[in-house]
Amino acid sequence: MLQGSFSSIREAFGKTLVKLGEKDNDIVVITADVGDSSRASYFKEKFPDRYFNIGISEQDMVNFGAGLSAVGKKPVVVGFAMFLMRAWEQMRNSIGRMNLNVKVFVTHSGYSDSGDGSSHQALEDVALMRVIPNFKVIIPADAAEVERSMPVVLEDRGPLYYRMGRDYSPPITSTMDYKFEIGKAYVLREGDDISLMGAGVVLWDALKAAEELEKMGISAAVINLPTIKPIDQSTIEYYARKTGRIVTVEEHNVMGGVGSAIAETVVKTYPVPMRFVGATTYGRSARSQRELLDYYGITPKTIVNSALELIK
Amino acid sequence: MEKGGRDGIPISIEELNKLKEVADRARKNVIRMQFYDQSIHVGSSLSSIEILTALELKILRDSNDPVNKDWLILSKGHAAPALYAVLHEKGLIKEEELWKIQDISGLLQGHPETFIPGVDMSTGSLGQGLSFGIGVATGIKMTKGTGRVFVIMGDGEQDEGEVWEAMTHAVARNLDNLVAIIEMNGFQLDESTKNVKPKEFLPEVWRAVGWRVFNCDGHDIASVISTVGEALKTGKPAVIFAETKRGKGFTPIENTKRQRTVPDVARQFLLNS
Repeated sequence: MLQGSFSSIREAFGKTLVKLGEKDNDIVVITADVGDSSRASYFKEKFPDRYFNIGISEQDMVNFGAGLSAVGKKPVVVGFAMFLMRAWEQMRNSIGRMNLNVKVFVTHSGYSDSGDGSSHQALEDVALMRVIPNFKVIIPADAAEVERSMPVVLEDRGPLYYRMGRDYSPPITSTMDYKFEIGKAYVLREGDDISLMGAGVVLWDALKAAEELEKMGISAAVINLPTIKPIDQSTIEYYARKTGRIVTVEEHNVMGGVGSAIAETVVKTYPVPMRFVGATTYGRSARSQRELLDYYGITPKTIVNSALELIK
Repeated sequence: MEKGGRDGIPISIEELNKLKEVADRARKNVIRMQFYDQSIHVGSSLSSIEILTALELKILRDSNDPVNKDWLILSKGHAAPALYAVLHEKGLIKEEELWKIQDISGLLQGHPETFIPGVDMSTGSLGQGLSFGIGVATGIKMTKGTGRVFVIMGDGEQDEGEVWEAMTHAVARNLDNLVAIIEMNGFQLDESTKNVKPKEFLPEVWRAVGWRVFNCDGHDIASVISTVGEALKTGKPAVIFAETKRGKGFTPIENTKRQRTVPDVARQFLLNS
């Protein structure tokens, strides 16, 4: 574990999108003037007729995608996570309500747009998206999981929100070999005393925390939940029973996000004490995403301390 | 603004008279619906009757193939009762369903939903139909289909920012299979449109952005049909500003911001008409 090389989430997205576009002529890519920043523009180089930069208009982008799907296209709508949220109502009222086959791929979520500051840092989007009926919500752990999951996601039918950051992608799943399935959790590390569960790049912190806990004689399982909705209830219940304690970790506000989704399952199946590691307020500017994660306490140390609170 | 010509879509006097009868029946059925539900938007619906009749019963080409059918998007979704009444005339909605509008056991929702036969887009939140229509029209052109897309909006709806996003987008796509119809009935929810925000500049703005701009009498079926015919021949996105009246033909509320009356007044009105 923790082997392999760092690589970029958005590079993996842009390159995989081109590969999938070669296989499926119905895939069309739409962006609101962030094609280069998201790497969606790689698709334009290969398939200019199936690529639409519609300008800085996220609301129009969502309904444009909805219309394209209504006539059989497979639209991939690409934007910054934060600015797709201004089209939340369009996603709810058009894509969700009509249950249309539109895939919303966002980059720059969490603290990944470190320099631009709080206006650009989406820490609320998972809460907003998982509440929309018919929408599935996916958060890939790293660049490797982007490559692994995208073919499956684009084969799936229906509304889906796919949440990515930018470049920061510590190796989490890159040395693993598994077939990605929507709705399935993956065990990154086995353990008996506590479960660390989460999604996205911060699973690296959970893995680091598990190594620290091991030094203290505590055996921590680490569970990757790339699908926040529909959530893998049986795996969550299994580890709730097995370890009796759960710490969740996410690059998102602790209200309504990944931790909340896990807690909803835990209280229904096998209630155990939990702690939630994540954001509690707006971000700010910094030179790197890692700096911000450290600044706001989404770190191995916080996860270790939360685990120790539950264990002592 | 251009006046719609007379050489767009051919229609005989007999056919025109039949459409007028359809519109009359649809109008009465909308007024009748408020016997059963007192919260429907009667005034906004009556503004749309002739436009919907002309489109649904004369202009639209139906097909099961999404790219070879014409699409009608009622972006001003609160005029759903008018759409349902016209779809009933088309044989797609049963009469008993009309009287169960907004009832928990009924099919017909307060705003259009695609699970209702004949509804092409679920609407209700203003400002979204044109963007969807651009997506449909673009998909049709990519697949070399023959379908055309009609989007009906309100004048109050023009306040929504997404309309600007879509209006500029359609021109960039150079869509010649898209016609927007804006009903200028002069009222929005709270008050007359001129008390809220000026709307007179709208045709100029649409023209400046790159649309071909037409106007028509939105209560004259012949005018609607011929103007749509012209609009379809421009080779550009076209918009029709249709002069209409809120509550048209229902004198207790006509040309006022009132959406409805008490059922007794409606009953009396229908008895006398």
